[in-house]
Amino acid sequence: MNSMIYKNKKPLLVFLIPAFTIMLIYLYYPFAMNIYNSFSDIKGLGRAATGLNSPWYSNYIELFSDQKMKIAVLNTLKLMLCTIVFQVGIALVLALLIDNIRIGKNFFRIAYFFPIIISATALGLLFNLIFLYDGGMLNNFLELFTRHEVLIDWKDKSRWMFTMFAPIMWQYIGFYFVVIITGLNNISSELYEAAAIDGASGFKCIRYIKLPLLHNVLCTCLILAITGSLKVFDLPWTMMPTGMPLDQSWLTGTYMYHVTFNASNVDYGSTIAIVIVLLGIVIAQIANIVFKEKDYC
Amino acid sequence: MRNKRKASTEQTLRSRLSFGLIIKYIILTLWAFTTIYPFIWVVQNSFKPKGMIRSNSFALPLGKMFTWENYTTAFERVNILGAYVNSLVISISVTFLVVIIAGIAAYGMARYSFRGRRILQSAIVASMMFPAFVTIIPVFRMQFSWGIVNTSSLPLTWLSVILPQVAGNLAFAIIVLMGYISSVPIVLEESAFLEGCNIYQIFIRIVLPIAKPSFATVAIFTFLWSYNDLFTQMFFLRYKETFTITRLLNEISSRSGVNYGLMAAAVVLVVLPVLLFYIILQKQIIKGITAGAVKG
Amino acid sequence: MKMKKLIALSLTITLGVFTLAGCGGKTSTDNTGDKSAETKGGASITVVSSYGADDGNRGNFEEAVKAYEANTGNTVKESASNANEEWKASVHADFEVGAEPDVLFFFNGVDSNPLIEANAVVSIEEIRAEYPDYASNMKEDMMGASPVDGKNYSVPVNGFWEAMFCNKTVLEKSGVTIPTDGYTWDQFLADCEKISAAGYTPIAVSFHEVPHYWFEYCVLNNGGLANHLNVPAALDDEAGKAWVNGLSDMKELYDKGYLPDNALSAGDAETFQLMAEDKAAFAVDGSWKCGWFAENADPANFVVTTPPTKELRKSTELIGGISMGYYITRKAWDDESKRDACVEFVKQMTSDEVVSKFSSSGNVTALKNGAIPDPNANELIKTVTEMNGKVTNVIGAVQDTISGEQKTDLFGNVKIVCDGSMTVEEAVTSMLGK
Repeated sequence: MNSMIYKNKKPLLVFLIPAFTIMLIYLYYPFAMNIYNSFSDIKGLGRAATGLNSPWYSNYIELFSDQKMKIAVLNTLKLMLCTIVFQVGIALVLALLIDNIRIGKNFFRIAYFFPIIISATALGLLFNLIFLYDGGMLNNFLELFTRHEVLIDWKDKSRWMFTMFAPIMWQYIGFYFVVIITGLNNISSELYEAAAIDGASGFKCIRYIKLPLLHNVLCTCLILAITGSLKVFDLPWTMMPTGMPLDQSWLTGTYMYHVTFNASNVDYGSTIAIVIVLLGIVIAQIANIVFKEKDYC
Repeated sequence: MRNKRKASTEQTLRSRLSFGLIIKYIILTLWAFTTIYPFIWVVQNSFKPKGMIRSNSFALPLGKMFTWENYTTAFERVNILGAYVNSLVISISVTFLVVIIAGIAAYGMARYSFRGRRILQSAIVASMMFPAFVTIIPVFRMQFSWGIVNTSSLPLTWLSVILPQVAGNLAFAIIVLMGYISSVPIVLEESAFLEGCNIYQIFIRIVLPIAKPSFATVAIFTFLWSYNDLFTQMFFLRYKETFTITRLLNEISSRSGVNYGLMAAAVVLVVLPVLLFYIILQKQIIKGITAGAVKG
Repeated sequence: MKMKKLIALSLTITLGVFTLAGCGGKTSTDNTGDKSAETKGGASITVVSSYGADDGNRGNFEEAVKAYEANTGNTVKESASNANEEWKASVHADFEVGAEPDVLFFFNGVDSNPLIEANAVVSIEEIRAEYPDYASNMKEDMMGASPVDGKNYSVPVNGFWEAMFCNKTVLEKSGVTIPTDGYTWDQFLADCEKISAAGYTPIAVSFHEVPHYWFEYCVLNNGGLANHLNVPAALDDEAGKAWVNGLSDMKELYDKGYLPDNALSAGDAETFQLMAEDKAAFAVDGSWKCGWFAENADPANFVVTTPPTKELRKSTELIGGISMGYYITRKAWDDESKRDACVEFVKQMTSDEVVSKFSSSGNVTALKNGAIPDPNANELIKTVTEMNGKVTNVIGAVQDTISGEQKTDLFGNVKIVCDGSMTVEEAVTSMLGK
């Protein structure tokens, strides 16, 4: 897609320089320092490094033999998959449904946005009360069906994944919903009219117009899902801090926080951060190649 | 044109006022219930005295359980109005700057093809994953050496929070706007070019209006994240007068969650402006291609 | 077009807000300006403390600061935050870049090492060379000497103690008498059996989140006062044996079923709730929890007493200490105009009256004359005062002397040891390796 308008590259500089300058100063430079930090020994956030580690790559060796890190990466990959299938998937379904109805559009759009704006602490409290072992809403609800007391420990070894993933899924569906519905709204109404004239309706409309034109937006959602899963922290930490139960539920985001703030092992935390970034870039590039971005000339 | 569409839609509606439609509404309403209920739960808990919340959290605060004490405590203990001002100034500035800077960057990345485009794109994705604690210390050091940290000047303190937050949100905004802009057919821009517009005019007159809904989306999320960004605020906002509402209420409603009533009230107080901002903006997110641009 | 309107609207709002805020800002500076012109002092000092808005003593702190300002005519620019990791990081960062405050209320343990090592705070000794009666109302050996050089740098306000909270209702219903001095481990186990048989949970604790306090007492029980602050260098030295035996005791409690069913996966808030709901009998925690009892239950239903002992520990020996105090930074000390103001500030904030007010929930103080008891203390606090009155020795927590990494590692492994996937020895060895 080499449109003639964009052959002249000079305006490009004007467009790109402000953004990349700020990002250079505030993001890339600190991250370069972070790489240096992963080789040094820092005893507390905010303190200066007290010399290099010995050997300087010792954090990386520790990383590869760290059992909890392996668990964290595996869990995060599972979360990523769930995010793509459920968060983006359900958001897509909801957005398509909303697009089709007439009454109540505004109401639903506002309602679905709620979970994102409430702080994770409040949501964590709510979910903790729902999943509470003794007297939680879920256990109480199940008691209505069985006749005796239900004491399911939702955070034990066999059930924690559902208990942790479900709230995370639920919270961010609204986010992707807004992103996708904006994409749907960007589609010119002319196209719908043309389709209607040609006799396309309902499913055909979705399959041949909406989905293809949503392609780029869905790619964006994919990238956001990948990076989001690698970084998610607030809700999982409030509900299942420190890898509860028994170091099973670590995610890359929570483990990195734990290492940096709880164990004060800042240089190791920096190492984990680098790994997260690399993982993200690699997976995002794979996704880009598999779901090629399409340009519309 | 609009009338024709309305007519055909009505026809299809009538013929499909059916099982399918009812199912759709049921699904949508069920989901809406799950998303609204937690907010209602928080609101009703904010009107209960703190001792009663853990034991009766799902009950409505009627009769004896109803109290204003959580809100009065919040307003008494701390300067809420000042905090709102700080929050709004910071978050609106961040949103404004991000929308503009990311907008032009996304336009450049989406439309131009040049060597190194792929690398820049990877760099942007990478920067989305930089965790806050990694960047905060060097940024703190840097901003201190510029003299904008720990000063008694309120605008400078605002600046010390605005700049890092702008940087932090740019990557997200660029990625999302790139996605939208690249799915807009290029025909309009080409026709404008043929009519003699230069690039900057094309951007302002064609791309901006068409991508308006996407800009609104990016704006709302940037506002939300800047507003809720506790970490940066904790580092740069030290004195009471500079506190934002999020920082302030986080202070009084402690992490250990002992005072659930105050925490619920705090959540409501924090959430209200964001909700208002969203309601105002989401009118922008609806179909809005102006007739002029289409015909142009 | 709509977009432009929106931009215009936002700009107007922003401008309006700026103007309002600007006006607000100006008025406040005017006020402070007038104040210092009127009265005699006129110095302005910056104070950083951990008396954040949620601290129980926040009100007392503000009152004391205002009293200081009124007495001396100086102004205080104070910044406070709850004492969490982010706050610690920001304090350290401040010192690193040279933005430290004049007076700092901070930890006096290993967290303060960077400050001492960088000579960024002034020792009490040095201050006394100029102001001989500085901190003269405090006991020397309770001021929290620095681990770096053993000298005192900070003047404390109130400290903490760790002991056992007992639920009177549950004990009564299980036919167990309330423990008093001389309560032994064996008596404790027998009582737990009775309580368990009566259908209650004997011990409320989350081994997942907070095994800290049981750990301290189990180690003290097995190692005694003299050894307590020694960190093991190997599994089989004195301290190592104490730790292994202590952890085994904890595992014993879990294996016998005296802990809540979900002690390995529940959080502290959840398990502690059992105490308030009269479902559990014992909980070992610290002085900070008194406020929790006042807010969530009827304090008269609870008693604070000394935890069960074994041969090597007497029941009048408690874990406790003073972990924070007021520092004067060298930056302020070297500034002639601020020196007096800072010294006076610390003096007033650590006077007998002020300290007594701050420690009204029965905290430990370093006051030579002891704290003035609060006549309005609730029932629970009265039992605390009674217990404190009989104390013969207070010793600090050994977990405060090991590094963050070691601490997190050890306590993270407690639940794994209880679950059976790791032995006690392996857990201690793992910590030694950090």
